[in-house]
Amino acid sequence: MYIEVMFPEVCNLYGDLANIRLIKKSYPETEIIETSLKDIPYFLENVPDLIYMGSVTEDNQVLVIETLKKYKKRIETLIEQGVCFLITGNATEVFGGEISDIDGTKLEGLGIIGISTKRDMFNRFNSLYLGKFNNMDIVGYKSQFTYSYYNNDQITSQLFDTIKGIGLNPDVKEEGVRLNNFFATYLIGPLLILNPYFTKYLLKQLGINNPKLLHEKDMIEAYEIRVKEYSNPKIGFYY
Amino acid sequence: MYRIRFFIALWGAKFSKILLKITKNNGTNFPGTIAIKVCPDFLKYINKPKKIVCITGTNGKTTVANLAIEMFARDDKKVLNNSMGSNTITGISTSLINGVNIFGRCKYERGILEIDERSAKRVFPQITADYLLITNLSRDSIMRNGHPEYIAKILTEYIPRSTKLIINADDLIASNVSPENERVYYGIDKMDTDKTECTNLINDLQICPKCYSKLSYDYLRYHHIGKTVCKNCGFSSPKSDYLGENVNLVDMTIDIKEVGCKGRHRLLNDSVYNIYNVVSTIALFRELGYSHDKIEKLLDKTSILSSRYNVEVVDDKKLFMQLTKDKNAFACSRVFDYISNLPGEKELIIMMSSLGDAKHWSENTCWLYDCDFELLNKDNIKNIVVVGPRYKDYYLRILFAGIDGAKVVKTMDELDAPDCLKLFENDNIYILYGTDSIVLANGVKEKIKTRIKGGK
Repeated sequence: MYIEVMFPEVCNLYGDLANIRLIKKSYPETEIIETSLKDIPYFLENVPDLIYMGSVTEDNQVLVIETLKKYKKRIETLIEQGVCFLITGNATEVFGGEISDIDGTKLEGLGIIGISTKRDMFNRFNSLYLGKFNNMDIVGYKSQFTYSYYNNDQITSQLFDTIKGIGLNPDVKEEGVRLNNFFATYLIGPLLILNPYFTKYLLKQLGINNPKLLHEKDMIEAYEIRVKEYSNPKIGFYY
Repeated sequence: MYRIRFFIALWGAKFSKILLKITKNNGTNFPGTIAIKVCPDFLKYINKPKKIVCITGTNGKTTVANLAIEMFARDDKKVLNNSMGSNTITGISTSLINGVNIFGRCKYERGILEIDERSAKRVFPQITADYLLITNLSRDSIMRNGHPEYIAKILTEYIPRSTKLIINADDLIASNVSPENERVYYGIDKMDTDKTECTNLINDLQICPKCYSKLSYDYLRYHHIGKTVCKNCGFSSPKSDYLGENVNLVDMTIDIKEVGCKGRHRLLNDSVYNIYNVVSTIALFRELGYSHDKIEKLLDKTSILSSRYNVEVVDDKKLFMQLTKDKNAFACSRVFDYISNLPGEKELIIMMSSLGDAKHWSENTCWLYDCDFELLNKDNIKNIVVVGPRYKDYYLRILFAGIDGAKVVKTMDELDAPDCLKLFENDNIYILYGTDSIVLANGVKEKIKTRIKGGK
């Protein structure tokens, strides 16, 4: 199995890279290809099983978009072919349309998925998250300066259905973006460790039958406690 | 009009202090909160000490501020400070209220103010510091601080242009703050323990800020702290005006080299982060005109605040209390690094679950996966006790660090932790507690002492 991690030198905030470490530790034979900003991506001439990109600072987001613009057509082709992408946190915005800051600056994303983004560096949004994916409970964290909005003129499917917390923005219950096997979510950090059943689903998409995770029993125990905790109506959800 | 409002705010705040005293309430921020509510520009108008030194940064600012306050006290200088209150605008306001009489006249010549780096945008438009010491900028609470680039931008936007900066040269994120301001740098020269490649999970400066090529390090201490150079464009770390060298951990001394002179000083602790705290304090006092001899006299007998670190010998065992800032992966990694390299067989109690978060919501545990728990995977760490509301998450993180689960005991109640210790001969017991659990950690410590003395 080949996993291409895009720009780990900058797309590495909030423990996001633990997602890849989990897969590597569970399947040590996995080849991890780390592509830096100045490298030619592996996906340009090859087809990795999974392409991963994590959360990034605002300045580095500009560099990431500039770099990936050269490969937009290839990324679109890979998505159409059903190659798996896992995109977490504000890396989601990189694949969307305009990112407009309340200070007036605007940044054009890759325009591959039908979302646009508004940024306010004076207000950071923090919450817990409880949602659903294929009847599985999804738990996690949001911590962001931005909200994204589905574009009306583009058909875009959500990744998760929100039960508690907010969706892509406070006005919707749909969270993230799914396009074939392109999975993008604003949930940050060790998403796959927090959600072992979702991880097993993802691994099946990568061609692994009956996937087993390292420390699976303890992971499921922690997951079940968290699902129960987050389902408790008394628990505060916003920081 | 503003004067009337200001005095109503001041007198209201002063009166609230009397009420707090009568009702035996602590409320260290309360007078400041009242003052700002009545007069939002209160900080701007209140009479301040003639010379103000502010200290900020992600880690070490409390230690440095306390060292400086203690040294001024030894020099018989009264210094207004916020060590008893918070480092946000309300705590700072309270300290300044304490520093003026009812006519608003300031009783102090000097002020040392520790400033929460995020509060810079509220504090600095109203207080112009003569000096601002920046200890370092690194990842901290994900919820409050986001990432260090965000904090560096806040500081750059709000630090007054006339403030002279005293910055850590070995931290390229901090050293790029407010590039227009006059500044001096401090740093520590290459040490035996330095590397050239980062082995930590967090490294927030991997690409050159100028040309975005991968950065190389002449030496790397930890994370992004070290001396860097870009092989592509030549961009490099600034040169230290106050350079710590010849660190001697046997004699516990360090030399501070600067143009034209050199001074030898006592180290207060052998952890690298505390060596930085000493070097930065020396740089500050040199900037304030103190000689090396005088600084050394003032430094003598000072110590790291006991609420942050202390050791007690109980029979044949040593009991270490170590503040390990919860939700701060960088700070926890530093503590783990330090402890894991100390000699002797050890047991650890990890009780950094954020108790405040557990009361109001549920802790965001992403930071656990930024934190180098792998550093605890050492043979001489014999037993790790994980306790608190998020003990299952800690346990899982420790397993992912490759640590044998048989070496780990987990329990929900912190006060059960002492019973989970093995208490072997010459045991070194470390209690790692967060900012929310200082009182609880003292309770755990007392219970351990009772167990040791009772021979159970």
